[in-house]
Amino acid sequence: MQALFHESADLPREQQQSFLRSACGQDQALLSDVLGMLDEDARRSLLDSNVAEVADRVLRDTAPRFQEVGRYRILGMLGEGGMGVVYLAYRDDLGHRVAIKVLRDAWLSAPRRERFASEQRTLAQLNHPSIAQIYDADTLPDGTPWFAMEYVEGVPLSEYFARRNATIEERLRIFRDACEAVRHAHLHAVIHRDLKPSNILVRADGGVRLLDFGIAKQLDNFDTGSDQTRTGLRLMTPAYAAPEQIRGERVGVYTDVYALGVILYELLAKRLPFDLSNKTPGEAEIMITQQEPAKPCGVADLDVLCLTAMHKAPERRYASVEGLIRDVDHYLNGEALEAQPDTLGYRAGKFVRRNRRRVIAAAAVFILIIAVVAFFTARLAIARNAALAEANRTQRIQRFMLNLFEGGDAEAGPAESLRVIDLLDRGVLDAQALKNEPAVQAELYQTLGTIYHKLGKFERADALLQSGLDERRRVFGVDSAESADSLVALGLLRLDQERLPEAERLEREAVAMARRHAPADSPAVEKATVALGHALEERGASIDAIQLLEEPVRSNSSAGITPDAASSLNELASAHFYAGHYKIADAMFRRVLDMHRQLYGNRHPSVGDDLINLGAVQFDLGYFSEAETFQRQALEINLPYYGPNHPQTAHNLIGLGRALVMEKRFDEAVTLLQQALKIQERVYGPVSRQVASAANELASTALGRNQLDEAEAGFSRMLAIYRAVYSNGHYLIGIALSNLASVSMQRKDFAHAEQLYREALQAYAKTLPAEHINVGITNIKLGRALLRQQKYVEAELHSLQGYTILSKQANPSVGWLKNARTDLGEIYDALHQPDKARRFRAELAE
Amino acid sequence: MQAEHSERGDLNYLFSVTYEELRRLASTVKRHDGSITLNPTALVNEAWLKLASSPAFTTTSPLHFKRIAARAMRQVLVEAARRRNSDKRGGDQASALITFDEALAPLDCRRELLLLDTALTDLARIEPRQAMLVESRFFGGLEIDEIAELLDVSRATIIRDWRAAKAWLAHELRR
Repeated sequence: MQALFHESADLPREQQQSFLRSACGQDQALLSDVLGMLDEDARRSLLDSNVAEVADRVLRDTAPRFQEVGRYRILGMLGEGGMGVVYLAYRDDLGHRVAIKVLRDAWLSAPRRERFASEQRTLAQLNHPSIAQIYDADTLPDGTPWFAMEYVEGVPLSEYFARRNATIEERLRIFRDACEAVRHAHLHAVIHRDLKPSNILVRADGGVRLLDFGIAKQLDNFDTGSDQTRTGLRLMTPAYAAPEQIRGERVGVYTDVYALGVILYELLAKRLPFDLSNKTPGEAEIMITQQEPAKPCGVADLDVLCLTAMHKAPERRYASVEGLIRDVDHYLNGEALEAQPDTLGYRAGKFVRRNRRRVIAAAAVFILIIAVVAFFTARLAIARNAALAEANRTQRIQRFMLNLFEGGDAEAGPAESLRVIDLLDRGVLDAQALKNEPAVQAELYQTLGTIYHKLGKFERADALLQSGLDERRRVFGVDSAESADSLVALGLLRLDQERLPEAERLEREAVAMARRHAPADSPAVEKATVALGHALEERGASIDAIQLLEEPVRSNSSAGITPDAASSLNELASAHFYAGHYKIADAMFRRVLDMHRQLYGNRHPSVGDDLINLGAVQFDLGYFSEAETFQRQALEINLPYYGPNHPQTAHNLIGLGRALVMEKRFDEAVTLLQQALKIQERVYGPVSRQVASAANELASTALGRNQLDEAEAGFSRMLAIYRAVYSNGHYLIGIALSNLASVSMQRKDFAHAEQLYREALQAYAKTLPAEHINVGITNIKLGRALLRQQKYVEAELHSLQGYTILSKQANPSVGWLKNARTDLGEIYDALHQPDKARRFRAELAE
Repeated sequence: MQAEHSERGDLNYLFSVTYEELRRLASTVKRHDGSITLNPTALVNEAWLKLASSPAFTTTSPLHFKRIAARAMRQVLVEAARRRNSDKRGGDQASALITFDEALAPLDCRRELLLLDTALTDLARIEPRQAMLVESRFFGGLEIDEIAELLDVSRATIIRDWRAAKAWLAHELRR
């Protein structure tokens, strides 16, 4: 039949009949079918219409028709969305009008029903003048769910402004109200995820109502978050979708900040930032994730404000809606913005001079702290059973908060803002009031204490962690899993407080206790073990740390790429690094970097830490420009995340400064290092290893510039600090001695230098493996001190020893090796061994 | 076909998405909003944009995804039409609360769609390639070149098949 159709289709009309008659013969049915097809061929059929029109016709007129829903009388239909139909209804007994949302086509899929229910829960949770209130909810006899909410007589934001010629101030004020509503949602750990002008209604009086929490997400259930995120991803509106939504990455407060940015853009520019019509998915994705939008309005501050909110990188946006609101206020009040234009190609050297004020990252933290405190306070009022049921949620919120600082979520960096501290202090007061809930109180103490610790406020942290421990001992017993957990946290704090022996004792106790209450491969035991490994490392017992850490790394390796696996491997890599096993450390750190990138993406603070570590390895191996590269990459992540005054930034600056010193770029180095020193003095106090480390680098720089008094003062300070902190000896004392000796060398006081180098070697002998790179370097230096005093025999011994150690591991071009060869040439000349002298000179010439 | 097996699991999600996309498209028809492209190609592209990075689809090629989406769209539309028609028969308990412009005759369109679905199923038995072509092109908005690649035949064959399938289906619908 089809063959006949094709053969006849293109014949002239009059020939078709005769052709087919002869072809079909007696088969009348076939003839009529083919003729029928030919008729249809000439006609327009359903298949020529657009599927959109078909969809429209099939799906329209489908609003469930009823006169009553529950106790409400339906007055008419207000609108339809993807999820449901919204009716205007009236409740006679109460005499008020409501909007009723009915899930349309509930039969379609379980995810739809779940989403509808979730919107209902979300609305029930929020209570804000700018968010439509929910009044009532039930199901129809056929099982179709519905809920009644506040009826908002208004028009969508976009239409509202399309109709009037509003000033920028009027636009901003309405926009600000919308922001307030979103902020309120965030305060309750709800992310809207689908903010767009059509979801924001403006009433005649200018009041704003935020609608449609259909794909909103609870911040706290991030255990199942990925799945929910994806649901949202599928249903969001691309024009307002943030790059992370497009890429299917984790969403957060920053996702709503982005959408608000786009809405503001549209309000200012009267067009969308990206024209996505007629774009292929690939093109649209590239536009949203890569292309910079044009400035929305040409008013410099508003452009900055808007483009900060919709920055491609979540961590460069306002860290919270609150931050965005503050800048809107600043603009309206004619004040300077907190956000500053984003400079591409950021260079660390410019940073300090530019003195960029950091966009306050605190606000998100803020919100969560309020949420937690409010939650705990609320718990007092609710029934005990309900409290237990919610305990799960509590823990999630806590973990979420901690993640803010630990880097599980990159939505906020630990800010140094006083307001955060104020807020934490308030949290502490509220926690103190929870006398009847000692377990919860202890948990809150521990959480807040850990946050203070992360913020570098060690005294407050100390008091809280200690109280947490005391509470837990009372509630759960001195020997309990909970107490062990508190000991781990307290031990880690002791490390930063330079109380190393105590830290180690606490962690040992924690490991032993955790083992009594959980299996050896449980997360609790591993957490304690990794903490103990860290303590051992800090004491300089890196070999012990390696032995200890190999087990958790082994047991985690089967789990694949998990945060725990990365964390234990990271600790082991550090132990190898401190033990001088640079090749192993390098490989392990690279693996950790890979894991963190896979877990968290490229701009996560953990990735920043890994880059710092890799930079440190390259530095110790003598690859200074590689070290510089790693440190700069790290700084690009850490600076926006931690801000300019955080110890981690200081740590990063020191790493970079050291590399620059070795590259003889002193001016650049000094600026960075002084900045770092100031931060460390403030955070850790004047007698701390961190200050010693910064002082060391500055003194090295002074030495490089031949400012000998300054160098001597710096190294002496370093030495004094290390001697105070490491009463039991530490290789760092040797480093300080060795560096101090270099000043004497420069002054040509070779005898004094010799004495210091020998002391340094004694310090190493107790704390470092004999083949350690530092032992090699100091031997070479000692060799030169001896050479300058013409003590050739002794000089040969040390130079050769150093040369042998270094030639086994370091970058062959490193200066120390060259020095050793030069010196050995001279030494063998003096010792009348010309063959050997020639050999070293030949190596030198290579 | 290996994709057939993973398809089932994904369809549930695709249904939700497709349904909402269809609704959105349908509402743009109603508003006669010229700024939004009204074609299934854009719709499927947009769905792809949204879904491409979700794990369920990372191993799916864009082309194959479009074919799955076309199937989802067919099933959602047909199921919606079926339910609405049975509602009608099951007694119209509601009064005419909202009346729509009847010019587009939703009722006829629904019946026609159900007939088309049945005919398409019949066509799949005699000419499976043509049935897949119609599903992909009509419901999924795939371009002729894409379908040619998907079915591994020439462009000319697709054009020829399309014409024949369309005539055959229309003829079936008229019976």
